[in-house]
Amino acid sequence: MSITKAAEIKYQFENWLIQEAKLLDRIEFDNWYELMHSDLQYLMPVRVNKEGNERPDYSTEMFAFQDDIDTLKMRVERLKTDYAWAELPPSRTRRFVSNVDVLEYEENNYALVESYLLIYRSRTDDIHHDLISGERRDEFKYEDGSWKLSKRFFIVDQTTINTRNLAIFV
Amino acid sequence: MMIKHALPPLEKMDSEDIIQHLNDAMLPDEGKIPTYIMGSPSIHQLEKEKIFTKTWLFLGHESELPNNGDFITRDLAGYSIILNKDKNGTIRAFYNMCTHRGMKLCRADKGNKTHFTCPYHGFTFDNTGELKGVPLQKDIYGDALDKSTMALHEATIDSYQGCIFGTWNPEPEPLSDYLGDFKWYWDLLFGRAEMEAAGPPQRYVINADWKIGSDNFVGDSYHTMVTHGSIVKLGMVPSSKYSKKGYQLHTPHGHGCNIGMPNPDFAFEEHLVPEFKRNLSDEQFDVLSNIKNINGTLFPNLSFLISHTEIKGKLISNTSVRLWNPIGHDKMEVITWFFVEKEASADWKERSRESFILTFSPSGIFEQDDTEVFTDITNVGRGLVPQQKALHYTLKMGMNRTPTTNFPGPGTVYDDKFTEANQRNFYKYWLELMNS
Repeated sequence: MSITKAAEIKYQFENWLIQEAKLLDRIEFDNWYELMHSDLQYLMPVRVNKEGNERPDYSTEMFAFQDDIDTLKMRVERLKTDYAWAELPPSRTRRFVSNVDVLEYEENNYALVESYLLIYRSRTDDIHHDLISGERRDEFKYEDGSWKLSKRFFIVDQTTINTRNLAIFV
Repeated sequence: MMIKHALPPLEKMDSEDIIQHLNDAMLPDEGKIPTYIMGSPSIHQLEKEKIFTKTWLFLGHESELPNNGDFITRDLAGYSIILNKDKNGTIRAFYNMCTHRGMKLCRADKGNKTHFTCPYHGFTFDNTGELKGVPLQKDIYGDALDKSTMALHEATIDSYQGCIFGTWNPEPEPLSDYLGDFKWYWDLLFGRAEMEAAGPPQRYVINADWKIGSDNFVGDSYHTMVTHGSIVKLGMVPSSKYSKKGYQLHTPHGHGCNIGMPNPDFAFEEHLVPEFKRNLSDEQFDVLSNIKNINGTLFPNLSFLISHTEIKGKLISNTSVRLWNPIGHDKMEVITWFFVEKEASADWKERSRESFILTFSPSGIFEQDDTEVFTDITNVGRGLVPQQKALHYTLKMGMNRTPTTNFPGPGTVYDDKFTEANQRNFYKYWLELMNS
């Protein structure tokens, strides 16, 4: 693959992730949800401290998120009710996406993309902030002329997550 | 309420004055619980001394240690311990500290080992706690080192229905007595079938006092209408008063739970019924068959839950326990385990886990809103003003009611979940221990 072509593909997914971050940070959850593929698996495994270099150093049995397209819809719908106290008022979040790396790519079909994610979260008048940092392994499927997220695997960097809840998306 | 007497800040009082002040301000039988106990560093210091190093605390479940040599590191009253099944199959709890210079011996969450080697000087202990190896022992110590005096320190542990509890108290009340009548209810969770912890626990931090979590689970079904209003809107439960119907009960030592019933649907997998019947008394099975949910707290900080909700058009229950582990006066680490019957089908286990994660994990749509409340209660309870103004909440609900005798389980039982009798019982024992 030419460098130009590789750069074009990378740009495409980097831009996808940046636009996604923007939607989430701007509380446009319905538009964000539209980016999801109906086969979606939305996973965030529990991170564990293992002996030495034993891998993987995350659990394959327990997750902080384990959603499909239906349960993700419930989360989005919940946030629209008058009782979603955890996000009333919404957190100010700022998602920083970097180190985007396209590992697999089949034109107009499938892509596997790794990236880093840093989420800054500020709630109400609390002067402290939460930082959630980790690595994403995202899979995309091409459908109706656009790339949809079909699998997200978010490996968080903390074993004890330092935020009061995950009422936000990763 | 106006201030009657100006008091010095708790932080400037000695322990005896704090206890005196507590006894004046806190009258659990009348429902008077001062807000400042939810945010004071001095109260927390006393709790560590008088409660957390004295009572039995949950460490884990035997299913987390299936093989000899398996270990998990846990926290016992703020001190790291290694819980391990030694080479003889005995489960032991070691203070996670090398007896030579105090280095933390093991820094993994779990694993399997025959020996633990200290990263500082290489002292090596086997998994029965004996010191076996000292680098250059002859050169340095000659024949003068008595390794038998340097075994790892052990905490006292005991278990009930696979749940392992530990204590630093050198003369604890027997676990069986500590649990007392509450065992009847613990059996519904852990004795109904062979249970297993599926995966490692979830861990996250809430900037809130640990008691708010215990209080919420021990008796506060009342909050569900408002705090968890969103789940009614999502159709996961039928009505906002869903949580009112049932029983609230408590036993001595501050333990208590709420049992939502009846339930027209059976909350568990049908093919497990013979196992349930073998393990439970007829009365216990009758209660289990009719529950729609149970939530409660085993004093001081272990809360538990069976939740039964409709997800994607299907009913599914999940069983979990959580520790509200204090790591400061206004901060706790929440450690939550998901449990499932070992003999449940793969499909049930999978759906039950998904429902746990969706509802009561850190991303859980029940859990999220609780943590928001817990955090803000602690914010409000901090500092001098709550103390000086003697802010309190008055837990009157259920005070003028007579307990029912029409329930098969032991304890003081009310035939309605919207009472606050359990919180009063919880704080009564808390105050008793603070006075000890």
